[in-house]
Formats: sequence, structure tokens, C-alpha cells
Amino acid sequence: MPDSAPTPRPKPDSSPDRLRAVARYSGIGAQMAATIGLSTWAGYWLDKHYQTQTPWFTLALMLLGLFAALYNVIRAVTKEP
Amino acid sequence: MKRLLLALFCFLSFSAFANEPTATTAEATDTEEFNPGEMILHHIGDSHEWHWFSTGNNHFTTYLPVIAFRPGHGLSTFSSRQLAEGKVYDGLKLEHEHLVSEDGSKVYDFSITKNVASLMLSATLLLVVFIAVARGYAKRGTGAPRGIQSFFEPIIIFVRDEVAKKSIGPKYERYMPYLLTVFFFIWFNNLMGLMPGGANLTGNIAVTMTLALLTLLITLFSSNKNYWAHIFATPGVPKALLPIMIPVELIGIVVKPFSLMVRLFANITAGHIVTLSFISLIFIFRNLGVAPVSLAFGLFINMLELLVAILQAYIFTLLTAMYIGGAVEDHHDADYQMGGGDGAEPAHAH
Repeated sequence: MPDSAPTPRPKPDSSPDRLRAVARYSGIGAQMAATIGLSTWAGYWLDKHYQTQTPWFTLALMLLGLFAALYNVIRAVTKEP
Repeated sequence: MKRLLLALFCFLSFSAFANEPTATTAEATDTEEFNPGEMILHHIGDSHEWHWFSTGNNHFTTYLPVIAFRPGHGLSTFSSRQLAEGKVYDGLKLEHEHLVSEDGSKVYDFSITKNVASLMLSATLLLVVFIAVARGYAKRGTGAPRGIQSFFEPIIIFVRDEVAKKSIGPKYERYMPYLLTVFFFIWFNNLMGLMPGGANLTGNIAVTMTLALLTLLITLFSSNKNYWAHIFATPGVPKALLPIMIPVELIGIVVKPFSLMVRLFANITAGHIVTLSFISLIFIFRNLGVAPVSLAFGLFINMLELLVAILQAYIFTLLTAMYIGGAVEDHHDADYQMGGGDGAEPAHAH
């Protein structure tokens, strides 16, 4: 453990706090997957519903979902206190 | 130790996905007599009877009551002994542990299955234990705890100080009953599932779904206007992006309890599957040399499961508290995906 060597007084409850930080971000992946998946599914459904020749809805909504999910992740991880 | 815990946490949270192929490998390598996949799925699933063990031709089984309701036919209650080995009783039979009627009409199954019986047993155990603990506090007040009370006091204090106070903030008190119930319910049932003959209750997706649903409802019903402001007008997001971000935030509301549901279900089920797979190796290879190795690995996984039992209870409680914390928090400066957390701490550090 190289990082814990120089601190003279260890924080009293650092282990639960670390777990807390991990726990907070553990759901981001699931949310990213759900966002992309659901928006792609919505696009697929729209393409089926309007019987489009080229799957523009799928393409557009998939990219939109990807963008939204990435934006959300970046926003979440850069907003450290 | 911190690093180890952290690594374990990351590993265990996703171990289910890594372990899933084990079941299919076990299924693929079936022999003519012993089918490990079938055995494992039977062990982790629910059933209408409680099978303890078999010796040669003798089966030691507790038959549980079957309660079935059919529209037009009414209620029928009988022992599951009548349905054993594919028998038909009162026009009902079991098909892959599903109660179906012979003529194909609709059956509503309210039977006391193995999981329901296990749930009743663990509820009784929890009541007995915690009424004793509560009685200790009623008698001794803040004095030194005695007996079983002194075993549970540090755990209760941990849930209060490390989970509830830090995640929810000053309003933590009204959520303590739910957090403690969820913690001890999951922990006790995880441990009971590890006992020989125990039911896989917390590895049942219906049970974890109910727990996650309760968390979702409590979060929604205790949410204040800041919570909804974060969803419909997320601070720091340009106005033009809001139409995109609102669906993302709405998906987030559902994804949080969904991941709670899947995490508990998958971790507990995966642990059972891995343990049973190691034990199955003996019967697959039919070799005395394999037995010590597979038993050692099985024992190791079982010991790991003891840790997972309390770790998953802790994670479920912690995340529940963090979601509630995100819904009740008053100020704007601490918005993360999971809500609540470190940013709110200085305000209520004691």
C-alpha cells in the first residue's frame, strides 16, 4: 500500500467511505447500458412501425442514446466535491 | 485490507456474469445417470416439497401444503405428497415444479412452497432474535448490553452511524426501521441459504424484486422537490440538452432498484451454483482423487459465501440509504448519479 504510508493519523472510517464511493458509481454502467439499449429499442420499434426502408430511426436514436449515456457518465464523474 | 475489500467488492459485484458459464458447462458434460445442470437448477429453484437428502432409495422430504385457486372450480388445498413423482390429484399436476391443471385451465398457485416456508421460518427467527434484543434495551436502557443484545448492538450501531447517518443525513431516523430490517433480513436469509438443506431465498428474483420495489417506493414517496428538480431541470446541464437528459434521468430511477434486484439475486445464485458445481465434479469424474480437490474448492467458495452474505446485505442497505439520501436531501451541491454521499457530510458530522 504505497499511498497510506506518509499519513500520520489515518482517517477513522476510510474503508466504508471507499466502499461508499465505489457503490455510488457502481450503477453508472447499468444506467449507460439501459440508456443505449432502450433508445435503440425505441428506434427499432419506430422503424418497424413506419416500415422505413433504411433504419434511420434505429441509427439516430442509437447514436442519441450513446451520446446521452456518455454525457451522463462524464457529467457524473467530473462532478466530484 | 482496504484495497483487498475494495477489490473483493468490485469482483463480487460482477462475479455473477463471470460465473454464469459454469452452469452451462456443467449441463454440457452430463453423464447418462448424473445430470449436474439439472441437479444444480433443482437446488437453486423453488419447489413444492422440501427435499432434505436421499440415502440410496430413501428420500427424506418434508411435504408442504399446496394451495391452488382455479376460477370456476374454487380453492383446493392438499399435501404436496399427493403430487409426488408426477402423480395427478384433484385435476392438478406438477410440470417442472409448476402447478398446472390437466385440462389446461388457469391455476393460481398460492402454495406454501420451499421458499415461502423458508421465509416464514426466517421471519420467525428474526422476530425471536430481535424481540429479545428489543427487550434488552427496554430493560437496561442505555446500560451495558447483555447476551444476544451485545452481539447485535455493534451491527445496529454500524448501520446507524456508517450507513444511515452518512447517506441520509439529519432525517435518517425515520428510515432506520426499514434499513435495519432489510439488512438483517438479507443477512439472515443469505446465511440460512448456505446451511445444508436451506432454501435459496435471497437468490430468488421475486424476493429480491420485492425488496428493490420497496426501496423504489420508499425513495419515491420520501422525495422532495430538489429530487425532482434534479431530474427535470438537472443543474449544470444546458437547456438544449434537457430533452435528452430527462429520459436518461428517468431511466436512472428504474435502473437503480433494478440493479439492486439483479445484484443480490445474481451474487447469491452464482455462489450456490459454483459450490454445487465443485461438488458435482466428484460425481462427474467418479474418481477418488478429485474429491479432496473439489471439496477444498467447494469449502473455499463456501467460506467466501459467508463473506458475500454480509457484504451483499451491507451493499443493499448502503445503496438503499444512498437512494433515500438523494431523495430527501435539501441542498443542491451534491448531485451524483446515486444521490447523497460525501458532499453532504460536514453538515451533520457529529
